[in-house]
Amino acid sequence: MTGSFRELRFLAKDRAALLWLGIAVLVAGLSVFLGLREVAAQRTVLNELIEVDRAERDVLRGLHQDWGDVAYYTFHLTHDSPSDFAFAALGQRDTSPWKHHIRALALEGQIYETDAENPDFALIGRFDFAFAASMLAPLLLILLLHDLRSRERAAGRYELLGATAASRGSPWFVRAVLRVGALTLCLLVPLWAAGLLVGTGAAKLALASLVVALHIGFWWGFCAFVDRFGWSSPVNLTALIGAWLALAVVVPAAIESSVETAVPVPEGGEVMLTQREAVNDAWDLPKSATMEPFVERHPEWADYTQVGQSFEWKWYYAFQQVGDQIVEPLSRAYREGRIRRDRLAGTLAWLAPPALSTRALQAIAGTSMADSLAYEQRVRDFHAALRGYYYPRLFRDEVVSDASLGQRPEFPVVGK
Amino acid sequence: MPVLNAKALTVERSGQQVLKDVSFSMQQGQVHALLGGNGAGKSTTLLTFLGFLTPVSGSAHVQGRAVSENVSAARQAIAYLPEAATLYGHLNAYENLRYFLSLAKTDTDRRALDAALDRVALQAEAREMRMQTYSKGMRQKVAIAMAILRETPILLLDEPTAGLDPAAIDDFNRLVRDLAEAGRTVLLVTHDVYGACHVADRIHLLHKGELVGSFDRPSGMDRIDTEAVHAAFAAHAA
Repeated sequence: MTGSFRELRFLAKDRAALLWLGIAVLVAGLSVFLGLREVAAQRTVLNELIEVDRAERDVLRGLHQDWGDVAYYTFHLTHDSPSDFAFAALGQRDTSPWKHHIRALALEGQIYETDAENPDFALIGRFDFAFAASMLAPLLLILLLHDLRSRERAAGRYELLGATAASRGSPWFVRAVLRVGALTLCLLVPLWAAGLLVGTGAAKLALASLVVALHIGFWWGFCAFVDRFGWSSPVNLTALIGAWLALAVVVPAAIESSVETAVPVPEGGEVMLTQREAVNDAWDLPKSATMEPFVERHPEWADYTQVGQSFEWKWYYAFQQVGDQIVEPLSRAYREGRIRRDRLAGTLAWLAPPALSTRALQAIAGTSMADSLAYEQRVRDFHAALRGYYYPRLFRDEVVSDASLGQRPEFPVVGK
Repeated sequence: MPVLNAKALTVERSGQQVLKDVSFSMQQGQVHALLGGNGAGKSTTLLTFLGFLTPVSGSAHVQGRAVSENVSAARQAIAYLPEAATLYGHLNAYENLRYFLSLAKTDTDRRALDAALDRVALQAEAREMRMQTYSKGMRQKVAIAMAILRETPILLLDEPTAGLDPAAIDDFNRLVRDLAEAGRTVLLVTHDVYGACHVADRIHLLHKGELVGSFDRPSGMDRIDTEAVHAAFAAHAA
């Protein structure tokens, strides 16, 4: 009987170890299932939105005879399609999987209108595979490894095992390898199964598996380090759970707090409110107060900005844009601040392996803060394209035609 | 060449001297008993032969080779039965024996296992039961069977009769003598003066880490003088 086979049989008889491994399968399986369900729900809503968006366009076609009405009443769906690995790490997907109210009006309020909702989710986090592998798996590993030697000492078997083993070190290393390997497989098999089900790329699955294995490897090393002190099982367990609490909860919380202090960022809601106030105030201001800053930004329309006393669409869209211009420094500070915070948090995450593992899985899944900001940028680019489409037609007072409507920009679908 | 040889062994644990200049040697086929009260250094002596403790001075030799030179070789030559050995409660007797024998890279079949369990008189119907249901004596019998099955030239047995009933102790003593006659060298640690006098060729009396006396079985006699050992033991215990 080889050492590995002997220890495998031994593991198969260890009810406590089997219980923890069973819980690992359950946790990984449930997290993957919930992730798949969430992504499927997002895809369903997205497909429905795409259909509704198309139907709405058809209804609106021919209904309005001037470009101001067309631009005002046409909502454009933008969406961030989930990647084939998003089910494993939902990350920032709950922030904005889609924005279906994008119009050629002031942009900032449209972008940040959901930012007041996000903190609820951000606080409790999602129960997804990234959470299971980064936060819960270390706990299960601790439970599997904390008494590997200490329980043998307590039972008076330690010297017997050491004296009986034909090779030095045996059977500890093989026992640990099997427990670590079994836990890793219990976590990864449900992930691989889900990946096969939804057609996740092999490279993404391999990379995610490597992240999980490295994270588990870190905790194995930590358990081995604590084991060297020769403490009893309860002391080992207390020390390891304490370390887990520090690295998985306390350090990330401290990092978050430090990052928030080090990089002050305006509130997303503040951007929205400031922009909306600017737009609302514009109704009461002389029209020149709108048209002058607009022309500064768009000198190409200087000859088309004469407006009378009555309502004119070009004045309306101009003050929408000026609203964006007024809030531009605040918006830029918000975006740049979030980027800086994300980068700083990424660096500091090396102090907290569970946070690092979560971030790595989110990066693979395309659900990281960087991905969320990239989507936001695509919305901005699309909105700029919308203005670029509508402004010539508005300012030149062109006739609405099917041919011209056919040239309207579509939000580009980005594959992940 | 002595099979086991303690040369002026001095061992410290946590800064305290637990063995002081202890010397004795054993030839093949001999049975020696280490006798003494708690903290006398009996188990420490066994752990030093196994290489778990390193002497601060002196040396322990197994089959002529210093343990410190090759711990693995020393351990491969020794079957060790620790005091109150608790084998795995979630395994039955066969599974425990197979596990430990595999650890020692000793191949055995079911018949050999049964033969060893027969020798220690473990009831056949108990052998497939998980050991957590065993009495202390039954667990001890399985541990003794394991030491027998190792087929090593040397056996170090720490309180092997603890938990055994008187009949089982008699059986055990006979077994030890049989093993010795088969050429195996047995060093056992015990509190049991009477048992030691019956089974051992020589008794070493330890007190607070020092070897304070040795008693040989007179030639032609079937046991060591129990009265003399008792008197010496009591004198040091007082």
